[in-house]
Amino acid sequence: MENNLSQFFFSGIATGAIYALIALGFCIIENSTKIVNFAQGDFLTLGGMFMFTLLHALHVPLILAVLLAIGATALVGVAMERFTIRPARSKETVILVFITIGASIFIRGAIKILWGKSPKSLPYFSGDNPVGILGARILPQSLWIVAVTILVFLILNYFYRNTRYGKAMRAVAYDRRAAALLGINVEKMVMLSFALAGGMGAIAGVLIIPITTMTFDMGVVLGLKGFAAAVLGGYGNVMGAVVGGLLLGVMESLGAGLVSSTFKDVIAFVILLLVLFIRPRGILGRGEGERV
Amino acid sequence: MKKLLLVLVFLGLVIQPALAENKTPVKKEPIKIGAFFALSGPAAFIGTPTKLVAQMAVDQINKEGGINGRPIQLVFGDTEGDPTKAVAIAKKFIYVDKVVAIIGPTRTGTGMAVKRLVEQAHVPTIMTVGGDPVIMGGKFGSYKYVFKTPQRSSTAVKRIYMYLQKKGIKKIALLTSSDGFGRDGRRWLTKLAPQYGLEIVAQESFNPRDTDMTTQLSNIRTKGPQAIVCWTIGPAGSIVAKNVKQLGIKVPLVQCHGLPGPKYVELAGDAANGNIMPSTKLMAWQQLPDKDPQKPVIARFVHLYNDVYHYNKDFPINTHSGYAWDALMILSGALNKAGPDREKLRDAIEETKGYVGISGIYNITPQDHNGLGVDSMIIVKVVNGQWKLEDY
Repeated sequence: MENNLSQFFFSGIATGAIYALIALGFCIIENSTKIVNFAQGDFLTLGGMFMFTLLHALHVPLILAVLLAIGATALVGVAMERFTIRPARSKETVILVFITIGASIFIRGAIKILWGKSPKSLPYFSGDNPVGILGARILPQSLWIVAVTILVFLILNYFYRNTRYGKAMRAVAYDRRAAALLGINVEKMVMLSFALAGGMGAIAGVLIIPITTMTFDMGVVLGLKGFAAAVLGGYGNVMGAVVGGLLLGVMESLGAGLVSSTFKDVIAFVILLLVLFIRPRGILGRGEGERV
Repeated sequence: MKKLLLVLVFLGLVIQPALAENKTPVKKEPIKIGAFFALSGPAAFIGTPTKLVAQMAVDQINKEGGINGRPIQLVFGDTEGDPTKAVAIAKKFIYVDKVVAIIGPTRTGTGMAVKRLVEQAHVPTIMTVGGDPVIMGGKFGSYKYVFKTPQRSSTAVKRIYMYLQKKGIKKIALLTSSDGFGRDGRRWLTKLAPQYGLEIVAQESFNPRDTDMTTQLSNIRTKGPQAIVCWTIGPAGSIVAKNVKQLGIKVPLVQCHGLPGPKYVELAGDAANGNIMPSTKLMAWQQLPDKDPQKPVIARFVHLYNDVYHYNKDFPINTHSGYAWDALMILSGALNKAGPDREKLRDAIEETKGYVGISGIYNITPQDHNGLGVDSMIIVKVVNGQWKLEDY
């Protein structure tokens, strides 16, 4: 049982890291525009599909393929901002959120036409010999995901706290007008955040395709889980995204392992709801201190 | 400018009907058959090739003179795997297109949603769904007008259990998906196990969209089964195979009859090797003994599919490929006998005996609206990424 418990835990961490990566993507858009970007999951699918084409059809070396897939998806993010969000010229959050839903459906349709409907898979980055940790067997690919999640978290944390661009983005999210008055190029910042979010989605897609396989509508389910993770941790909080993702993954796995695999999703979401009843802002979420 | 437009519109009006008339030489009125599959949504990778095969079968039937000189015309629809959409399309088929019969849909859930409607409207329907309830009575409603060409889940379960019994296996674990198909499999797996002297030591389930099943497999491992039987379709099956390998579980993994196909090996990679599954003879037809009556039929189908229509480029042949073909051939056989009258057609389908198809030899009876027995299935095993005939 000892052995199993540790397997449950580490399987949960491995899945949770995927959720965390997606949750971080949601965070980036929130931190510059205060909107929920429902196309985030589709950025993930797109990144995975680019990776598939680069690696499988064009035989590009792994590292280069990863970078190109991230770059290409970031460009799609930019295009989405430029052609859907910006022309709307709306400050209404609801309208912008609906636009992202439209963009999500559009991207999914495009993926279906370009890459077809059948699932895709790729080999693991560094073999399939599982690594033993405290009696649990974990794929090297999962270690990659956990490592990248931590790395991305550290970089984002530094970016938002210590760099001019990062601070400018947060300023834009807080008050567009004031930010513009201070000489911040608001449109550029929003566009940059969409590029970052696209890139983030692609990182997740590129890393998970060997584990989960990729279908054109993969982004829907994983996007929802990532969104739940972001809410659980405190929406818009970088640390919260990571904590929320890992927690959701571990809860699902422990629920399935110890209670019943039939009610796996139910258990995870009941806990999610309970947490939100007690702390509506999420575990690490801070309230918006509105000054009157 | 306006004048030019007017002229163009006028020309269009005159020329188009003329062209259309040229295209279709004087022919007898076609017999309309509704054909709806999951052309998008999660089961699209099964539904789309099914549609292609249906068209291919109709082309063959029409080339050979159709039904007493009348060609068959398919009216297509996309269920998206969604029961509500499936019902809407079935209504359109019945009341707008006034089809004689229907083939499809793809998923068990959509099949169940449509079942009541076609029963009420008395429209013979040959489904290509995996689950059994569509042709089960009692609490599942009547099934007078509903038939299905894929083997029953129970047939596949029996075939697996026969094989396991032969191998001297006594203790098995079940890992089934939580959707309609998985639950149907689980129902039969638990019900039939005692008849084959099998004890189920563990039962776990997962969501078909899950990305990791190591938790469930860890619990299964603790109970020490001699084989694991997994019941799901789609990418989840290959994830289970990968997870089994990851955890170093050595007992054989048996998958259901929905998975045999090149895609499974492609997605599961190395982890597919050694996996066992029940399959139609299509998956290892070249390895069949020459006396098998299905062999030449399958050979012709494979030739058409790969060499004439080149469907294999996008959709390499898998275990599902023949179901739509069989559905249309059974239908055209019955149409030849009974003509395009819905009631007579239904009776004729029910009287189909000894039709040698791709998926088996069909003997349909009033009780059995599938008509395939355990002998229509073989057990295949993945060896070095190839499908090997394991048990005939």
